[in-house]
Amino acid sequence: MTQFTPMLQALTRQRGVRASLIVSESDGLVVDSSLRFGQDGDRVAALAASMYRKARLSARAAQLGAVAFLQLDAERGRVCAVGGRSDLVIVVVADPAVNVGLIRVELFKALESLA
Amino acid sequence: MIIATVEPWVEAPLKRYVDDARARLALLLHPSGQVVAQAGFTNEVDVMSACALAAASHATAGELGKHVDGRAFRSLHYAGPDRQLFLSPVETARGAYICLTVFNLDSSLGLVRIYFEELCRDLAAAAPPLSDLRQPTLAIDFERDLDRNLAALFGRGAETA
Repeated sequence: MTQFTPMLQALTRQRGVRASLIVSESDGLVVDSSLRFGQDGDRVAALAASMYRKARLSARAAQLGAVAFLQLDAERGRVCAVGGRSDLVIVVVADPAVNVGLIRVELFKALESLA
Repeated sequence: MIIATVEPWVEAPLKRYVDDARARLALLLHPSGQVVAQAGFTNEVDVMSACALAAASHATAGELGKHVDGRAFRSLHYAGPDRQLFLSPVETARGAYICLTVFNLDSSLGLVRIYFEELCRDLAAAAPPLSDLRQPTLAIDFERDLDRNLAALFGRGAETA
């Protein structure tokens, strides 16, 4: 149990959320996670961190400023991520039918508590 | 990226690994330091040095692990300001190998570790079984084998001893 565990457990309790993780953006390693059965935390962490870093660099190169919220919609799920306050990124993996608006609000709340 | 292998069954898994993990350099070697495959190196002296140092680092980490934890440490990660390396053993039907991976900020330790697990599975599946009992590497054969492998990797004629 870490200082992040209650926040991650609250995220994973949201309907349709399969996993929530705090990931180091630079290393792609899991800092803490709350996973439902069958989720591969290491894989999600590495790929989501890589995706977030690429998005941040792309946004900066396009002079769009900082990345606020990143969302990937795929056939069998969604990945949402927020970060930018430090090297840490909060990642949620959810079902395709999840309420993204609610997830977004919860992720920003979690990001505030991370600061 | 140029990939060269002494044993052909290594090439496809190594190429996939290097592409997926976005590695800058990769080296597969025997624990004795003999090269089996390389990706990204352009100079055979660099390959020789890297093989010797990787084998020594792996052996050192193994012995340290035995002292500290009662069993050999498997993987090793060093991070520099721009480049990092990941050193870990690979088990196959043909025996154990060591893989050295060098990566920069295009990749991450997390990505390298994930794709390294896939490399281990791919190499284990691709390795042809040993048809006869493996002969131990003798000191007298080492230099000859090393020269032969480097010649195969860098496309020069094999030197005869």
